[in-house]
Amino acid sequence: MDTGVPAFSMNPVMAEIFRQLGLDPDQVGGFFARSLSHTHHALPDPPVTADARLFALLPDDPVDRVSRLPDALLGNIVSCLPVKDGARTAALSRRWRGVWRSAPLVLVDSHVHPAGTAYAQGVASAVSRVLAAHPGPFRCVHLTESPLLAAWLQIVAGKGVQELTLVHHPWPLEIFLPSTFFLGMETLTRLYLGLGLCDVVMKTGDLDFILDRSPVLETLSLEGEMLERCLGLVSQSLRRVQIIGCSVGEIFVVDAPCLERLIQSGGWCPEDTDGNCTKVKIGHAPRLHMLGYLELDPRNVLEVGNTVIKAGTRVSPRTMVPSVGVMALEVRFGVRNDAKMVPSVPRCFPNIETLHIKSAKTDRSTGKLNLKFWHECGVIEFVRSRIKLLVFHDFRGGRGELAFLKYFCETASVLKKVVILFADGFASTEEAQSKLSSLGSVKRASETSTVLVTVPSDPQVGSIRSFKIGSGFSADDPFANY
Amino acid sequence: MATREAGKKMIMLKSPDGMEFEVEEAVAMESQTIRKMIEDDCADTAILIPNINSKILSRVIEYCNKHVPTTGATGAAASDTVAPAALAEDLKIWDAEFIKVNRATRFDLIQAASYLNIKGLLDLTSQTTIDTISDNSLEEIRSFLSTKNDYLPEEEQTIRRENQWAFQ
Repeated sequence: MDTGVPAFSMNPVMAEIFRQLGLDPDQVGGFFARSLSHTHHALPDPPVTADARLFALLPDDPVDRVSRLPDALLGNIVSCLPVKDGARTAALSRRWRGVWRSAPLVLVDSHVHPAGTAYAQGVASAVSRVLAAHPGPFRCVHLTESPLLAAWLQIVAGKGVQELTLVHHPWPLEIFLPSTFFLGMETLTRLYLGLGLCDVVMKTGDLDFILDRSPVLETLSLEGEMLERCLGLVSQSLRRVQIIGCSVGEIFVVDAPCLERLIQSGGWCPEDTDGNCTKVKIGHAPRLHMLGYLELDPRNVLEVGNTVIKAGTRVSPRTMVPSVGVMALEVRFGVRNDAKMVPSVPRCFPNIETLHIKSAKTDRSTGKLNLKFWHECGVIEFVRSRIKLLVFHDFRGGRGELAFLKYFCETASVLKKVVILFADGFASTEEAQSKLSSLGSVKRASETSTVLVTVPSDPQVGSIRSFKIGSGFSADDPFANY
Repeated sequence: MATREAGKKMIMLKSPDGMEFEVEEAVAMESQTIRKMIEDDCADTAILIPNINSKILSRVIEYCNKHVPTTGATGAAASDTVAPAALAEDLKIWDAEFIKVNRATRFDLIQAASYLNIKGLLDLTSQTTIDTISDNSLEEIRSFLSTKNDYLPEEEQTIRRENQWAFQ
């Protein structure tokens, strides 16, 4: 998927506003284009691609085998075509016209760009025509290339849609969406909102409104949104929630009986620039299996059943979430108080077998974290008797990181595998070998365990920012990118 | 139900031309249709698969054998040494080879995949037809699909005008 976003042509009024703010309009335009490119890279691939992939052999007999296939199968084929090719099939024969009109279309705006017109403008008018031409419902509507028009969203809502991906372009900011828009969302199963759409489109509380009005919504992905202080999740249908790079103080799973994965990363607060600030609060989530990244900042990490989990908090059945099997933590190994949380947080999850640890950068290092530190924590039960797979992300060869790995290998008795992934840019073989040589001499508690040392297969594609895996339907571990 | 070594449950599939295929239950359950039969306990002896001849059925089984998620001793070892991405890439290459069949077989496979409800196979078999339609002129598509144009000339013009955006 081409993710290069062309720079915006800013109108003179906007340009003047930026100039008065002391900013170069071209630079601002470039910045937005870059952040949009990033968002496009992270988007789930639409179910239709414009690139032909397979080679069809030429017909070897004159029989019209296609006409023997039932309409539903042909509709399935038309659904998988780029929307323009799909519409052309209507002119093949009478039968194909009926098939096209009843096929659930996949409208991806980058597929309808007519050649030779100004890009965003051309996309916008093509989208308008497609939306008008087809009676709906739509299987997927994926609009990322041009400023969104409220009229489109009303058509989409009126005709019905299953999967909706909306990424807003930063300007013009004229979009106004009546809250009745989401009344038409009974069929929505997957919703992705990117880059400040909530600001523009929704008022505070509208996300609750969407969840309330979307009885079959299974996947919710938000990226780069300014959310309310607390995002409360109440839904009988949600299975996957992914919240990346959003400003949100607290994610509270109030009541989500079907929720299987909650992935959050890169949360931030406008008033707090010191990294970690999204607290996760778990109420009723009996099927929650994958949870991360919990940022181990002692000020605000985790609350289970109304109990704030701190270093040394005693756990009780009320503060446990037994369904979680895969968990990801973000730890600043240079910060002593962060590391002290490592033994405490997983106690609330008595059945985790896979642990992902992401080593976060920090500017302020407080105290040495050597092997002794970990031994003084006492027996960390979950390390000793439960973890089978440890994946250590963003390894930079720091002493604190090494000490933790040594402690882990010495202690974990049911461990099967350790994967160490180097941070981007730290990858020369000699450097890696020298940093990890001391790990080789450790007496491992689990003699059968293996250690795999590698660089992430593709730091961009595999990154947790990607919605492709996290919001997908496969059982793959979305934190594993090696 | 028959069983064989390692306690793997086996299922007998019968084609209407009288051939019998013994397959592992896990492989047969790649088909949602067969899965439902097994789960509803309708699969005591052999399952008759109507409308799918032995030649096509054997290809379908070949596909399911390849795509069944690996489990057990050999499966675990394989996934330890080969990254999931590499496995997926292998499967893709295998799929591309598998679908190099003549058109008659391809449409039979589409129908079989649809009846047996095997999503991966349906997507794969449909994809070649999809690729045929993409980027070809109407005349070329008609000849590829052997579809007869039953529009009157003026009717076809109207349809083209209605969807003019698609013909630009």
